[in-house]
Amino acid sequence: MKKFLCCAAAISALLLGACTPTVKIEPPDKPIVINLNVKIEHEIKIKVDKELDALLANDELF
Amino acid sequence: MMKKLLLLLVPALLAFQAMAMDLHQAKSMGYLGEQNDGYLGLVKANDEARAIMDEVNAKRRAHYQKIAAQNQISTDDVAKLAAEKAIRAADKGEWIQDAKGNWLRK
Repeated sequence: MKKFLCCAAAISALLLGACTPTVKIEPPDKPIVINLNVKIEHEIKIKVDKELDALLANDELF
Repeated sequence: MMKKLLLLLVPALLAFQAMAMDLHQAKSMGYLGEQNDGYLGLVKANDEARAIMDEVNAKRRAHYQKIAAQNQISTDDVAKLAAEKAIRAADKGEWIQDAKGNWLRK
């Protein structure tokens, strides 16, 4: 009887184990780089663009 | 009397001519064109046009330097952005430079 219980416990443990969903979280192999330079450069470009538009409106210069 | 009048008239006429050309006329007459570096270039030799070019280029440079300093970028970069705009804004028939530096008529 004791042997049977042991067996049953082992089998149910195995069955339960088989049902447990495995969620794997893998870290990315490359470091995550957030490039803020692009945004800043873009903003500067827009700003310079506006300043140049004002400059080009100057008839004495362009 | 005639000589005196001429002496008065000739410099007056020359002065008038010197006053006559401005930047836009120099461009439309084909003496000056927009280079690919943001500055004016002499397309056809002319002293008056050259004087206008030198003066305007100096002013442009000062403005480019100011904008560059304000935005912490190089003056050349500002000048190149200006070149794109100036070439785009040039009127038809005016001289512009292509990427290689060749003059062509827009």
